[in-house]
Amino acid sequence: MRWVDVKASLKDFWFEFRRQKGGLFGLALLFLLIFTALAAPYITEPDIPKKWTQYWEGNPVTVPPVWYNYFTTKKLAPHEVLTANDLKITADGQDIGGGMKYYSFEFTYENNYDVPPSDIIIRNIGVKLADINSPAQIVVTVIRPDGNKIELLNTELREGSIYQLAKDGKVKAAVFQWASQFENPETIAEGGETLKNTMDTMKVIFAKAQEGILTNPEALKGTYTFQVEIFTFTEGDQVDLSTTQIILSGRTYGLMGTDYKARDLWAGLVWGTRVSLTVGVTVAVLTVLIGIFYGVTSAYLGGWKDEFMQRVNEFWASIPTLPILILLGAAFKGHVSLWTIVFLMVAFYWTGIAKVARSMALQIKEQTYVEAAIALGAGTGRIIFKHIMPQIMPYAFAAMALNVPGAVLTEASLSFLGLGDPTAVTWGQILYDAQTQSATINGYWWWVIPPGLAITLVAFTFVLIGISLDRVLNPRLKRL
Amino acid sequence: MGYGKYIAIRLLNALLVLALVTLLVSVLFTKVAEEDIKSSIQEQINLKLRSNPELQKQLAADPEKLQEWYQREYNRLIRVYELDKPFWVRVVERTKDTLTLNFGNTKSPIFGETAVSKIIAKAIPRTVILFTTAQIFVILIGLLLGVKAAQMAGSILDRGVSIIAMVTSSIPMWWFGMMMILIFSFKMGWFPSGGMTSMPPKEGFAYYLDVLYHMVLPVTTIVFVLFGGWAWTTRNIMIGTMQEDFIMAARAKGVPERKVIYGHALRASAPPIVTMTIFSLLGSIGGAIITESVFNWPGMGRLYWTALQQNETRLLMGVTFVTVALYLIAMIIADLAYGYLDPRVKVGASQST
Repeated sequence: MRWVDVKASLKDFWFEFRRQKGGLFGLALLFLLIFTALAAPYITEPDIPKKWTQYWEGNPVTVPPVWYNYFTTKKLAPHEVLTANDLKITADGQDIGGGMKYYSFEFTYENNYDVPPSDIIIRNIGVKLADINSPAQIVVTVIRPDGNKIELLNTELREGSIYQLAKDGKVKAAVFQWASQFENPETIAEGGETLKNTMDTMKVIFAKAQEGILTNPEALKGTYTFQVEIFTFTEGDQVDLSTTQIILSGRTYGLMGTDYKARDLWAGLVWGTRVSLTVGVTVAVLTVLIGIFYGVTSAYLGGWKDEFMQRVNEFWASIPTLPILILLGAAFKGHVSLWTIVFLMVAFYWTGIAKVARSMALQIKEQTYVEAAIALGAGTGRIIFKHIMPQIMPYAFAAMALNVPGAVLTEASLSFLGLGDPTAVTWGQILYDAQTQSATINGYWWWVIPPGLAITLVAFTFVLIGISLDRVLNPRLKRL
Repeated sequence: MGYGKYIAIRLLNALLVLALVTLLVSVLFTKVAEEDIKSSIQEQINLKLRSNPELQKQLAADPEKLQEWYQREYNRLIRVYELDKPFWVRVVERTKDTLTLNFGNTKSPIFGETAVSKIIAKAIPRTVILFTTAQIFVILIGLLLGVKAAQMAGSILDRGVSIIAMVTSSIPMWWFGMMMILIFSFKMGWFPSGGMTSMPPKEGFAYYLDVLYHMVLPVTTIVFVLFGGWAWTTRNIMIGTMQEDFIMAARAKGVPERKVIYGHALRASAPPIVTMTIFSLLGSIGGAIITESVFNWPGMGRLYWTALQQNETRLLMGVTFVTVALYLIAMIIADLAYGYLDPRVKVGASQST
C-alpha cells in the first residue's frame, strides 16, 4: 500500500466512524483515561506507588470524602494540617531564671462542624535536650468559645515525642474531670468508669457545656484557641518550632476518602488507570497479533499442518482460563509481577481470534486475485502480508478493542483475589482490601464504589469503541 | 465418520486435556508443597527439641551430637513426607491421585470436613442451587428481551437492550455484588449480607424459606450482570435468521407473525442458543468464582477463595480439577447438542474432509 492510499482509507474510515455516536463518546472517554494515566504524577504525587504499600501516617483511617458533607445533615470536620506558618508564636525562649526557658505558641481552630476532628496530633517539635535524663515540659491548654479553659495535657517533652490528644489517657482524664461539673451527678454515679472509657474525648472538648455533655455531646461552634507551652530546664536545651506540625485528624478526607491504611483513595484511583490501561491494551494487542499470525499461517499452510495447528488450538482453548490463572497466581504466591499476569492472559486468550482469522484467511485465499498472484509467482510472504493481512487488519482492530474489557476485568478479578502484583496500585487490589476489611458490611461506600466504577468505565470505553469499529469495518454488520 | 466415533474422539480429547492440565497443576503444586513441607519439618524438629528438656540437656553439651541428631530427625521426616523421592515421581503420583479423585486432606477443616472430596461434594450442590436458579432467570429474561428486540430492530427497546448489554458486560460481577450488599443489606437492611442460612440454621420448611431469602441478593446480582449480554446475543442471532429466505417465504405464505417468529425463526436460531444455554448452565457449576466469596456463599467459588487464603494446596487442586472436568463435559455436551439440533451441521464432517 502506498502512503496516499493509507491516507485515503484512513479518511474514509474516519468519515464512517464519525457517524457512530457511541464510538465518538468512547474515543472521548479513552482520551480522558489516557490523560489521567499520563498525568497521574502531576494530579497526585509522583511517589504514590512506593508509598502505596505503607501505612499513611498522619491521615485519618477510613473516612469519607470531603464532599460527603453536601449529602448529610451533620457536617463532618475535614482533615487539616497546620505548619509553623499557621502558628502564632507568643514566646520564643524567654529566660525565666534558673536556666529555665519558656516557649509558647497558639493556634486557632474554627469549628463549624457538627462532628469535630477525631484527633489532634502535635508532632515534630524540634527539641534538642542537653541532658537526655531531664526532659522538657509541655502544657497544652484549650480556650473554648464560651470562655471555658481546659488544661488538656501537662507532660514530658522528649526528642521525637508525638502527642495524640484523643488517644492520650491523661487528656481523657482531664477532659472527663472538667466535663463532669456540667453533667448530672446521677449520670456520673451510674455511668462511672464506663462513662469515662466510652467517652469520645474530642467530641467532649468541642461540645456545649451543658447536661449531657458526656452522654450525648452537642457540638459548640466557634473559635477554639489552643495554647502550647514548653518549659526547658537545662542550660543548652534547644527548641525549634519551625518544623512543628499540628494535624487535626478529619472525619472526612480529600476527594475520595481514605482506606484502612489511611491511604488517600483518590491517589490510588488515579494511579490505577495506568495499570488498567497498560494491562488491557497490552494483552489485547498481543493476543490479537499472535492469534492472527497463528490463524493465517494455519490457513495458508493447509493440509495436515493446518489440521495439526487446529487441534493444538482446540486443545489449548478447552483449558478453562480463570481457574488456571488463579492456580498459577497461587503458585507464585506474592511474586506475580504485572508482566507475568499479562503473559499468562496472552497465553490463554489468543485461541478464539486464531479461529476467526483462519476462517477469514481461508476465504481470502480462494479469491481470484490471490490465485492470480500465486500464478504470477508471488512468494508466500508477499501473499500473506500484501494480500491476506490487509484484509484481516480491520477485523484485528475491532478485535483488539473488544478484547480490552475482558483483560481489564480479568486483571481486576485476579487482584481482587489477592493474586495481583503487590507492588502495583490497582483498582482490583483496592477492592480486595475493601473485601478483606469488610468495607461493604461497615458501609464504607467511598472505598467500594469508585474503584468499581473506574473498572467499569475502562471496560465500557473499549466496548463502545470496539462495537463501533466492528460496525464500520465489518460491512456484514452494517445493516443491523 | 459416525456419531459414535465422533463422541469417542471428543471424549478422548477431553480426557487428554484433563490429564495434561492435571499434570501441569501437579508440577506447580509439588513445587509449592515442597517448600511448605520443608518449613513445617523445621518447625516440627524445633518443637520436638523444645518440648523435651532431657534431650536438650543431653545435646546442649555436645554440638556435634546435636548436629547429628538434627540431621537424623530431618532425614526421617523427609522420608515420612516422601520428599526423598525424585521430583518427577512425586509429580506423577500426585497426578495419578488427582485423576483418581484421591485428593487427600486439608490442613484444617472446611465446612466441617477435612477430606477434600467430601468438601467438594458439599460445595457443588450449593453452587448449583444458586447459579442454576440465576441462570434460568437470565435465560428466560434474555431470550424474551432478545426476541422482542430483534422483532423491533432499531426501536427504543432494541437500543435499550444494546446499551444495557454494553454497560452490564463492563461491570465486574463481584463488584456489583458488593454494591448490592452496600445498598440493600447495609443501607436498607432488607436482606442478609451473606451466607446461605441464618445462624443457627432454621428447621423444616422455614429452612428453605430462609435459603431463598439469602439467595435474593446474589441471584439478582448474577441476573442483572448477565441478562443484557444474553439478550443482545439472542437479538443478533435472531436478526441473522430473520433475514433468511425461508422466513420471507413463510411471511409470503401468510403465516401469522407470531408463528413466524416463535415457530420458524426461533427454532432455526435454536442451535447456537442451546449451546449457549448448556455452556452457561454447566459452567455455572464452577460458579462465578469470585461472586460467591463476596456473598460468602459456601459453594465452589468460596472454596477457591478459602483455599487461596489458607494456602490449602490440596483443596485448590481438587477444586480446579473438578471445575476443569465439568467445563470439559459442558463442551462435549454442547458440541453434541449442536450437531443434533442443527441438521445443517454434520458433526464430525470437518474431521473426515
